[in-house]
Amino acid sequence: MSFAPANAHGRVALVVLAVVAAAVWFLPAYYTGLLTLIGIYSLVTIGLNLFMGYAGQVSLGQAAFVGIGAYTSAVLAVDLHVTPWLGAVGGAAVAALVAYVLSFVALRLRENLLALATLALGIVINVVFNEWEFIGGSSGFKDIPGFTLGAFTFDPRAYAILSWALVAAGIWFAGNLVRSSFGRTLIAISAGELGAQALGVDPEKLKRQTFVLSAVYAGVAGAVYASYQSYIDPSSFSFLLSVNFVLMSVIGGLRSLWGAVIGAAIVVALGQVLQALVPLVLPSARGDFQQFFLGAVLIAILILLPRGLAGRLSEARRA
Amino acid sequence: MTVAVSATTLEVRGVSMRFGGVLAVDDVTFAARTGEVLGVMGPNGAGKTTLFNVISGVQRPTAGAVSLGPVPLTGHSVDRIASLGVTRTFQTPVMFWGLTVRESIAVALAAREFGGSYPPPPARALLVAGLGTQGRRRADAVLNERADALLASAGLAHMGDRATESLAFGEERLLELARALAVEPVVLLLDEPLSGLNPEEVEDVLTLVRAARTAGVAVLLVEHAVGELLSVADRVVVLDHGRKIAEGTPSAVAADPLVIDAYIGDELE
Amino acid sequence: MIAQIWQYVLGGVVDGAIFALVAAGFVLIYQVTGIINFAQGEFVMVGGMTAASLAAAGMPPLGAAAIAVLVAACVGALSYLLAIRPARAATGVTLIFITLGLDVALRGLALFVWGTNPYSLPAFSGGNAVKLFGGALPPQAMWVLGTDLIVFAALYLFFARTYAGTAVRAAVANPPIASTFGIPLRTFAFASFVVAAAIGGLGGVVITPIPGVQYDAGLTYGLAGFVAAVLGGLDSLPGALLGGFVLGIVEHVAGGLLSPGWEQGVGFLILVLVLVLRPQGLLGRAVRRA
Repeated sequence: MSFAPANAHGRVALVVLAVVAAAVWFLPAYYTGLLTLIGIYSLVTIGLNLFMGYAGQVSLGQAAFVGIGAYTSAVLAVDLHVTPWLGAVGGAAVAALVAYVLSFVALRLRENLLALATLALGIVINVVFNEWEFIGGSSGFKDIPGFTLGAFTFDPRAYAILSWALVAAGIWFAGNLVRSSFGRTLIAISAGELGAQALGVDPEKLKRQTFVLSAVYAGVAGAVYASYQSYIDPSSFSFLLSVNFVLMSVIGGLRSLWGAVIGAAIVVALGQVLQALVPLVLPSARGDFQQFFLGAVLIAILILLPRGLAGRLSEARRA
Repeated sequence: MTVAVSATTLEVRGVSMRFGGVLAVDDVTFAARTGEVLGVMGPNGAGKTTLFNVISGVQRPTAGAVSLGPVPLTGHSVDRIASLGVTRTFQTPVMFWGLTVRESIAVALAAREFGGSYPPPPARALLVAGLGTQGRRRADAVLNERADALLASAGLAHMGDRATESLAFGEERLLELARALAVEPVVLLLDEPLSGLNPEEVEDVLTLVRAARTAGVAVLLVEHAVGELLSVADRVVVLDHGRKIAEGTPSAVAADPLVIDAYIGDELE
Repeated sequence: MIAQIWQYVLGGVVDGAIFALVAAGFVLIYQVTGIINFAQGEFVMVGGMTAASLAAAGMPPLGAAAIAVLVAACVGALSYLLAIRPARAATGVTLIFITLGLDVALRGLALFVWGTNPYSLPAFSGGNAVKLFGGALPPQAMWVLGTDLIVFAALYLFFARTYAGTAVRAAVANPPIASTFGIPLRTFAFASFVVAAAIGGLGGVVITPIPGVQYDAGLTYGLAGFVAAVLGGLDSLPGALLGGFVLGIVEHVAGGLLSPGWEQGVGFLILVLVLVLRPQGLLGRAVRRA
């Protein structure tokens, strides 16, 4: 069996990875940290875009899968001394399993009710994080071991490279997927579910596979996050994080894989810029006030580009 | 036109469909044979579309059953019924916006490739597609070629690269029909495939319908344009107020006083 | 033990009253526009924050309360005009994203205006706790319950007794026919946002003396309001009332008996169960499966 060496998405991803790998040697540690965070969020959002943008569904609980990946990897590493590399695999597997089970509840529903169901499941999972003493309850996990490679323990630079290597792999895989008959069929059910069904497409199975895949992306991201931060607690994976993933997804462009990366970069970068600038003008502003702008940008994008950035671009190409 | 002697394929037995106090379909029984065009006609509100919804699995009948040969269809989902060989089109064509014309056809062909239903287990579809294995890429290239061949045979070769969003209404109808034929159905349900078309497009659709019949498909055709329907159908079933009031050759049905009464009564109402 | 549970129930009644008000806002907007308004909880926060900050600046409570409800209604009006109306061509999932964006934006806006500090509001009336079968309710609870009574009675009278209410019901039942009869659907949509926001704001004003309020309070109220609305039935105002109280009581009892963290968890478990087993809610009508 031979794999596609690189699709267009994959080739660009390799270039981006090379740029990141070079940049971390010059960037101050602070920016390297931001890059890592953008990479981790991008990974989650790529998976979410497959489920929301291509399959046309909605998930307001994606942070829960990130949390499951993070907690699984932390438990494996701290309690069972399993290397984070395997921890990431385990995190992805448990997240996938939970998504698979929950899909039987959630994916029977559509639109409004699906949004509410994923929101509710995300919050219930967060409550479990909080109440389950075995995984640290509300105080969470401390001293989660980092990734190692032989004798080398990952430093912030290595985490930046690792997270972007995962983004590259994630984009490559998703890029293959959306160009294949699998991806086309996803688009078909998002455009006309009944029409696709009349051809023999089983929308529930297709959505389920995509939902589980999005949980795998989130689970891997969570495992890397846990080792990178070396500390996690339930508040890291709250409903607000799920909302942030939706912001990244929509702002970058739902039906676009690089859109996921751009959205993650915008949400993180805009947050940093505004946190630095706004207090100069308005000293009373505190907390995550940048959310105001992100919310406004999201609404503006949906109103001005009702078919999304990708839709507008392809229209322009055809005209 | 003579009625070919051929095997019964789709059987509708005593089907009733009740919405609240309204009996939209009332104890309807008939059968369709392979390689025939069976017209389903009747005035507005006769229950034609509801009947199609019941056969294709969109709605579950309150009584009665539908089967394909020995296989019962009633109670299965739309996609399961499609994978068993019964597919349909819609009064308002369902377009897969976001895909090109060729890709729309390829979606249907992919379902066909995996035994009439999609997706197969993740290990055979999702992983293979995501990893971009050579086999999968080759298979997808073949799907594209077959889609092109199908478009050419339907006279739509020039449309392959167009976005489905850009199609005119008549083109949407033709694409939806070509898409349905791509899954190689045993039974094809066409819900008013001629409405909204210009005479040229009507001819295109009828050509496709006749070709499907020749290929052995049982085509069920709901149509308001009675003239066209009678000209293409081998047999006709007539519904009125949910009941079957006549069944037979087009000429016999057209001369049936009950049928004439139903249509004229409808005009007067 | 029984006395303890009874006290939880009483606490749940107070919370439930607010959940019911938020749920009423959801139901109003959903009924008229088909939109699930994820920003509904923020109206409660705006009402509470405005009243509390004005009172802190020395304004008499009644004036502060009136202005707070007015401000909340204006926020509702602007939300509709700036975010919902321009997107009227959008479909289901897009509208979900838009109201979610609205929720995020309003919470961010509150940070600009009020920062992260918690605010409080003095109780409207002094006096001792109200004793009820051995349990106790704070005096402010009477204001909260009274507000529920007035709001739901007013909504009932509007829909059952007035011409405009009948027109709204007709419009909801059959939009195309309603618009041929000249029933102004868009005006109703606008009004539903204004009224829902005013109700939410009023709820925020009357509840704030008990737990206080800060910029992110709307999240909790909004989420609880969802559960209450879905529990009761998204198309049923009596359902919102029932759903609110049931949820408030169940949450308090579960939180008291298990652990406070489970308060929210139980609510959302109920939401999941309702969505799976009875998507139309306790008092809602069954929706045709499309």
